Amino acid sequence: MRDGISSGEGSRTEMVYDSLLEPEGKMEFLLGNEAVARGIYEAGVSVASTYPGTPSSEIGDVLFLVSERMGIKFEFATNEKVALEIAAAASSGGLRSFVFMKHVGLNVAMDSFVSLAGSGIKGGMVVFSADDPSMHSSQNEQDNRYLGKFARIVVIEPSSPQELKDFVVEAFELSEEIGHPVLIRSVTRVSHVRANVELGELRNKNEWNYKKDPSFVLIPENAYKAQAEISKRIEMAKSRKYQSTFNTIYGDSPNLIITSGSAYNYIDEALQLLKADARIMKIGMSFPIDSDTILREIKNAERVIFVEEGGPFIEEQVLSLCALNSVNKKFYGKMNGSVPLSYEMDVNRTMEFLSKIYGLPYETKEKPLDLAQRPPVLCPGCPHRATYYVAKMALKQRGIKNPIAPTDIGCYTLGYYEPYLLGDFCFSMGSSIGSSSGYSMSTGEKVISFIGDSTFFHSGIPALVSAYHNNHNFLLVVMDNSTTAMTGGQPTPETSSPFKRVDIERVVRGIGIENVFTIDPYDLKTSLDTFKKALDSEGLSVIISKRDCALNADRNRSPDEIKVFQVNQDKCNLCYNCVKNFACAALYVEDGIVNIDPELCDGCSVCSDPLVCPFNAIEVRD
Amino acid sequence: MVSIVFAGVGGQGVVTVANIVGRAAVAENKNVLMTELHGMAQRGGRISVEIRIGNYHSAIIPDYTADALVGFEELETLHNISKLKSDGLILLNRRRIHPVTLTMMLRGYPEEEIERELKKHSVVTIEADKTALELGNKRAANTIMVGALFATGLLGLREESITGAIKRSLSQRHWDVNLQAFSEGKKLSLLEAPGIS
Repeated sequence: MRDGISSGEGSRTEMVYDSLLEPEGKMEFLLGNEAVARGIYEAGVSVASTYPGTPSSEIGDVLFLVSERMGIKFEFATNEKVALEIAAAASSGGLRSFVFMKHVGLNVAMDSFVSLAGSGIKGGMVVFSADDPSMHSSQNEQDNRYLGKFARIVVIEPSSPQELKDFVVEAFELSEEIGHPVLIRSVTRVSHVRANVELGELRNKNEWNYKKDPSFVLIPENAYKAQAEISKRIEMAKSRKYQSTFNTIYGDSPNLIITSGSAYNYIDEALQLLKADARIMKIGMSFPIDSDTILREIKNAERVIFVEEGGPFIEEQVLSLCALNSVNKKFYGKMNGSVPLSYEMDVNRTMEFLSKIYGLPYETKEKPLDLAQRPPVLCPGCPHRATYYVAKMALKQRGIKNPIAPTDIGCYTLGYYEPYLLGDFCFSMGSSIGSSSGYSMSTGEKVISFIGDSTFFHSGIPALVSAYHNNHNFLLVVMDNSTTAMTGGQPTPETSSPFKRVDIERVVRGIGIENVFTIDPYDLKTSLDTFKKALDSEGLSVIISKRDCALNADRNRSPDEIKVFQVNQDKCNLCYNCVKNFACAALYVEDGIVNIDPELCDGCSVCSDPLVCPFNAIEVRD
Repeated sequence: MVSIVFAGVGGQGVVTVANIVGRAAVAENKNVLMTELHGMAQRGGRISVEIRIGNYHSAIIPDYTADALVGFEELETLHNISKLKSDGLILLNRRRIHPVTLTMMLRGYPEEEIERELKKHSVVTIEADKTALELGNKRAANTIMVGALFATGLLGLREESITGAIKRSLSQRHWDVNLQAFSEGKKLSLLEAPGIS
């Protein structure tokens, strides 16, 4: 096993390791994303790449551990666009290739994704996007089926872990037969559901068979020709053979429900609870759609209900189809407000709108309690907490009351919350630095921005070159914990052996930036002095706040090594600085007394620093 | 057909427990669906896992239909109470983990509200953390909860399926303490609620 990854306990990963390599016919309890990894193994994929992003990350975690045994060359790329180009190149030589990412990752890869439709593919190629309806861990709930249709790439939607695996295999067959890429659109509640998955047979891998082909050189002359070819290949995907592979119809009723993906999972139970019936058309290929079957079904129905997660993607296509064929029925969906437009579905939500459409009684019970919430927090021992604490202190000591603080995507985005309140702009990966240039151009206010190490490599570097070149004035703090922490601790370009390690300070200095400081945030005193120095300097400054992710540090030591801290009540002056300004999750207040939860304390010792507790009341527990 | 919610705080081993139950059911050729919900936080954030054994499509349990709620932390147990059916059972580990927001406002844990709400339900208290410490491994608290849940008979699974799943879910050096924790959990459950199964 290679080091550098740390998702879950070693035992769990070893177990997944083995269960994914079991022979055909075995039943395993797999997470949807683990089923995807098995699917590409069965499909004979040779090359795979990704940039980690929830809810797709576990595919990479698994492949990082087992890809060698699967005969798959797999790597974490610096961003999704690079990952997609890796897969496209492998496919151009006849190998089957796979690239996967979270939904917004496809925005990053979009430029080459659209070109991929034009070039077509040689070896089967599947792009996997995990959407995040309800935004459990994302900045939007964009529906990537639209991106597939926009690029004119076939869109497949699985509903369960079993289908994830099976559809991956079928998608590769389809892709290779028609010479066109396929987009698989998963969602959180498919990728992150664990269920029984029956393993299938393994297909042999394709041989490398590269021939130079102008289709892959999308200069205007070739791109012009490609446009006609795209339409031909999409037409081929409409064939009966594929539609029957991916689509299912059952039930006898004048009410036709056209549904797909995760939204399908709630319908049977909702109908049962409502004592209602429907004929269900579950669409697995949602672009291009099976026009003939859909029209025939609609003609036989009295009313037609569209139930989808995301936008009215199938609904729009079907309604266009009906208009062209002069078919008119009672239609219910997102477009006329019969089905809610946003957020993920569940049985209760499905009952709520179906009951209105069917005219059946359904009582929504009030949720009884209004208890204190538990908002997300940085882990005990997290180095980001120390960085934010000294950053706040330095700003205060320099009299900067209201800095503009762009932030970025990662655990440190939690700096947005009380008590740090350092997060004023956060759009997408790398947006902290681009926006800092914009603030620097627009105002003389102090700008201090925050970006993580993995995000810096992903898309921070071009923005930093731009900022330096254009003489911008801000302080950039690189929150460097040497891992992609929020998605489960995947490696970054800083990870060494067997990889080449890239040093952030050398990258920053290589651009030409001179005010560059590297600090250990646990050393509050030195960090504070450095922040003040950086705030005092004009022009662009960069602080690299470097300390391993606390979770990674824990994985590399035994629990016995942790020296837990406690509050010496004789010395505590009840100033509450520790709870109000440092705000570690292990601290709590009971009857006015400050305590440390020994189960949560990580032993980082930062709260015992006189800059947090001037009374030296926090000490090692006996 | 059974639906169970596991609720707690990141770091308590909630997902591991649900995995053990799911794996045990798969070993008996039963259909299982499991889904988890957690926020951005890795450790210290809320976490809940829903598991359904039987022929379901929806991994998410509809409101007021769960047969049992296994609570690893008091406040998070209450946050999930609207999943529980009216005569559903709560297995509760008496552990309080203070949300940082309350700490910053110098406020204590909402004890009274929690006790008031718990009175409306049938609750079996399991001192999992305490017992785990006595066993010499505080990380075995979650397996104690598995034992307590098993003893209720709600899962409809055989004991050897669960112990087999414990072994397949944990590395060998943790087997002894966790199997012991499992059997302590069974005892605690029967002691607290003798008529339960």
